Parts: sequence; structure tokens; C-alpha cells
Amino acid sequence: MKPAPVVPAPFLTPAGESLPEPLQTLRKQQAAALVDMPLPTRKTENWKYSSKYLKLTEDLAPSLPAGQGTGEYPDVPGYRIIVRNGAVIPAASSFPGSTGIVVRRFCDLNDNEAAELASQLNHTLNTDTVQLAALNSARFEDGLLIRLTPDTVLDRPLYVIHQVTGDASGSAYPRIFVDAGRNSRMTLVEEYRSTGSQTVLVNTVTELNLQEGAQVTNIRLNLENDNVLSVGATGVHQQRSSRFESHCIGFGGPLRRHDLQVQLLGEGAECKLNGVVVTQGKQHYDNHTTIDHQVPLCNSEETYRNIAADQSHAVFSGRVYIHQDAQKSNANMNNRNLLLSNGAEIDTKPELEIYADDVKCAHGATIGQLDETSMFYLVSRGIGRHDAKVLLTMAFINELVEQIPEEWVRDSAQDRLNQFFDQSFQEA
Amino acid sequence: MLSIKNLHASVEDKEILKGINLEIKAGEVHAIMGPNGSGKSTLSQVLAGNDAFEVTEGEVTLNGENLLDLATEERAREGVFLAFQYPVEIPGVSNLQFLRTAVNAMRAHRGEEEMNATDFIKLARDVSRQVDLDPAFLKRGVNEGFSGGEKKRNEIMQALLLQPQLAILDETDSGLDIDALKVVADGVNALRSKDRAILMVTHYQRLLDHIVPDFVHVLAGGKIIKSGGRELALELEERGYGWLGIRDEDSADQSAN
Repeated sequence: MKPAPVVPAPFLTPAGESLPEPLQTLRKQQAAALVDMPLPTRKTENWKYSSKYLKLTEDLAPSLPAGQGTGEYPDVPGYRIIVRNGAVIPAASSFPGSTGIVVRRFCDLNDNEAAELASQLNHTLNTDTVQLAALNSARFEDGLLIRLTPDTVLDRPLYVIHQVTGDASGSAYPRIFVDAGRNSRMTLVEEYRSTGSQTVLVNTVTELNLQEGAQVTNIRLNLENDNVLSVGATGVHQQRSSRFESHCIGFGGPLRRHDLQVQLLGEGAECKLNGVVVTQGKQHYDNHTTIDHQVPLCNSEETYRNIAADQSHAVFSGRVYIHQDAQKSNANMNNRNLLLSNGAEIDTKPELEIYADDVKCAHGATIGQLDETSMFYLVSRGIGRHDAKVLLTMAFINELVEQIPEEWVRDSAQDRLNQFFDQSFQEA
Repeated sequence: MLSIKNLHASVEDKEILKGINLEIKAGEVHAIMGPNGSGKSTLSQVLAGNDAFEVTEGEVTLNGENLLDLATEERAREGVFLAFQYPVEIPGVSNLQFLRTAVNAMRAHRGEEEMNATDFIKLARDVSRQVDLDPAFLKRGVNEGFSGGEKKRNEIMQALLLQPQLAILDETDSGLDIDALKVVADGVNALRSKDRAILMVTHYQRLLDHIVPDFVHVLAGGKIIKSGGRELALELEERGYGWLGIRDEDSADQSAN
């Protein structure tokens, strides 16, 4: 039997000396634990449909340079943090100045602050199932620390714009840690984009801790180009009566994988997870989500939609786990899929695992095509086929796009959707 | 305006239309009556360009232009409008967005400028009142959750907005109570003009009490077997289809459902 592939050794040498000592130590421990860690294969259940897209060649091992950070960055209606190849670029960023809010680069922390952070990292993600998050933990060279003291409300959304440069092969390990104090509130937008044409790997980890009564909205927009292999993980811990809302909008690439793991740890906690994925050409996108109801009286609501055109491949796996003590849980998971061509593939796996007896849970998944009767109706009114397909495709995801609370994000997503429509729905 | 010559059409190799001949001039209202399964709806769908039906023989011209060569959307832009018997529900596409896209597609075809959102909303509100539809319907998904009568009124509203050359009404009276029938008929009568032709497909003659046709044709077995004036419809009402030597399969069909 052929030995299982492991993470190539060149990936396991943490680079960059700017992190404070406690975080460097943490990285070294993580790297040591990764030696001989088998990479996911087709036989690894949660990578079954996607392992063939995961090609960790040695040329991807070197860290991409942070550089000077000069460049064109978008204007956003909120605080803007520019992260280039994983490194926060203060000169291009605007940090919130109000009291009660700490937004800091990992590299700027003193040893005490770094020691506190080191003790808090790596608790929200299960690295048995999110194997590549461990690689981020071994390799991050900077990161963004966000702390909200109790009752603090961030007045404007925090936009973290991640830029990855593909001028040379290599990898980047962006990292965000959020500690939202009791009854605090914030909106965090993460946008991922890229330049250049060389193959690069982006491996992201975002961890969010919501203390009692905290309300956090997290929007994730994956807009990287086709030279980017992207693997990301978001881990969420929710305490009593907290509310977490997630909107993940993603466009495909040679590898796109996002794991979202939410643990409901305090009674009355609620989460709403929305996702929209669009793939075309030979692109791939894989969303794996887990919602863990550990205590009674929590609600979760999950709605994901995939659209796959051409020969592309989209994957959804949603798992809701209701522990034995988690009575009076409400969980609703729905995944709908639209195949725009005979060559496209969508794999979906909604899973409910329930060990409590007094719960309300539902899950469902559908796969379909554009409805011919609806098409005929629209074109019979003089509407062109391109516009008719756009109307019907938008109808499939409108409900989710409209729920994105930030207009700027909706507009960015719509621009990218319009590009997709122009490429995919040429007038016959 | 519309000329149909020896039209044959099949669905899944089963021939439904077996040689239809029909001439309709601008300003005229024609009614096509016939028992269920006679090919009435097929004729409507074929004229509108539904490619589920295959035209195997014959020709159809609109103002001298070969209609069968045109795609569905091109026929619509040339002025063909079909009011569907069963309008489809399209959740997620608002009625307003749908109607505006359609009106602007027609305008673009005529080389006219797009209508802006504000002007369009005003127009759409006016027309919706004309068919007694609450303008709030404009914000809902296309036909989403509409009652049968509301769907039919929405169809007539579209005809009023799009101002077609040839309006084909497929069983527009089915499923309507008498008040709704009156509203729909008023809408259709508002469409009557010397420049427009109307083709009504109906099983019953009651719609024809409200929209008086110039000509009535009986379709049976995929052919027009009798044509006449309005009195033909009254005769059918009185005597059924039997005296023409055809069996009205309606009662049989309905009991089978």
C-alpha cells in the first residue's frame, strides 16, 4: 500500500521573525505536531469530493512577501484594514479609534498581550476535520486581533481587505482573532482578492468568540482569481444569548474550500449561516459547515445555494449535531443547487445528528436546472434569452443576496455576478 | 395580418394539428372553439413559439413575415402576445422587474430609449388598476401566490402594457367567477383596435357574451371543421359539439381527472 501523502517538509518551517516570542513558540509547537500529518485524500470523508483539487506542491511552500503594501485598494464605507499576503499594512489601513475597541496587528503586541492571545488561539476549530487550519497555525506571520470590551458597539463595519500577490509562487496565511465581549456588537467583512498570475496558496483562519449577548455579523467574500488555491476556516464559539450571522459569498477557482464551524455553548445562542457559491469553467468550490448544539434552547438557521456552470464542481456539506443535553433546540438547514450545464457537478450532503428527544429540526437539499416553462414565459414577452437566464438565476439567489446587510458588499457581489452572467449566458 | 396555411404540428411524434388554415385581418376578433384535446392550446403555443411542439408542415406569416423562422422572443417583439392558460409562478423575480424588462426589450427592438424606473412604475400602476389588480401585486414575485383570477388579470395587464399586434388568449375565461370575467373582458375590449388582431381560444361561449367576436371557428381533431359568425358560438352553446359529428370529450376528460 502506498503511504498516505503528508504535508511536504518545506511547508513546516515557520518564517518571519516579527511575531512576539509567545506566538513564535506557539507556531513551532503547531509545526512540530504537523510532521507526518497525512494530507486528506479521496478516502478522507470530509475531503472526498475535493482532495483531487488539493495540490500542495513544494513551490507553494515559501511565504509570499508582505512588500511595501503600496497599491490600489478599494474605498469602503467603514474602517479599512489592508492585509497583504497575510501581513497587516498599517499605512494603508484606518483603525477604529474609539475606546473599548482594540484592533491590533499580532506583530505589534507586547509579550504579555501575545501570551494572552497565544492561550486563546486554536480553540474554535476541530483540526481533526479542518486539517489545514493547523497549517495556518504553524505558518501565520502576522494577524489581526480584534477585542471589544463589554457593551461596546463598533459604529461602522470593519472591512478587512486581503490581497494576495501572485507575482511568484508561494503561500500566505492570513489570520484573524475576534473576542467580542459581553453585549458588544460588530460587523466584520472579509474580502479576499488577488493579483498576478503565478499559482499561490492562501490558507486563512478566522476565529470568533462571542461572549454572552454579543452580536457579530461576519461577511466573507471570496473573489480571488484563477491562480489562487484557497483554503479557509472560520471557527465560532457562542456563549449565552449571543447571535452570530454569517454571509459567505464565493466564486470558484482551481481549489476553494471553506470550513465553517459554529459551537453553540450557551443557552439562547442563535446563529444564521447564509452562503452563495457560483462556479464556472473548470472551477471548484467546497463549503463544509458544522453547527454544534451543545446546550438547550439554541437556534440555528442555515441556507446555502450553489450555482454551477460549464464543467465546474460545487460541493456542500452541512452537519448539524444536537447533543443529548441540547433539548428545545431549533435547527433548520436548507441547501438548494442549480446546475446550468450538463457538464457541471454538484455534490450535497446535509446531515442531522440528533441525540436529544425534544427538538425541532429540518433539513433539505434539492438540485435542479433552470425551469423551461419559466424560460418560455419570459421570452414570450420579448425578453432576450440572456436576460431571461439572468432573471431566473438571480431569482435563485436573490433572497440571500438581499439579506447581506452591507450595500457595498452586495454591489461587489453583483458586479462579479454580472461578469459571470456575461461569460456564461452568451446570446445563443 | 396573420395567415396560417396547412399548419401541421406534433408533440413527441404525435400529430396534434393536422392542417390548419386561418386568415385574420387587423381589427378582427376571432374565436376558436372546440372540445378538449382538439388542439386549441397547441395552436396557441405553436404560434407563440414553444419549441416543445414541432411544426412538420405548413406556414405562418405575420404581416408577410415568416413567423416560424423566428425565435419566441423575436415573435414577441414583432407583436405576438400569448395570454397563457396556466401562467407560471416565478418566485424571486418581481412582477415589476419582469414587466419593465419586457417593456424595455420591446422598446429596444423599436429603437426607443429605455423607460426609467419612475416612469415605468407610474405606467404599471395605471395599467394594474385598469384590470383591477392592487398595485401591491407589482412587488410580488411573478404570479407568486396569485389566485387563478389574479393570474388571468396579470396576463391581460401584460397585454395592455406590451400593446401587441396579435393577442392570443388561451382559455382566458377558465377559472374566473363572473366578476373577474367581466374585468378580464373589459381589459380585452380595451385592447380592441383597428390595428390589432385578437385570437381567443375557448371551450365555452360565455366569454363571447362579453367579447363579441367577428368570426367563430370550430377546431376538432386538429382541423378547423366549421367557420361562421358569432351565431355559430350560440348554436354550439345550445346544441353542443355533437351535431357537428364530433364528440365533446370534456365530460369524459374531467371525470378522468
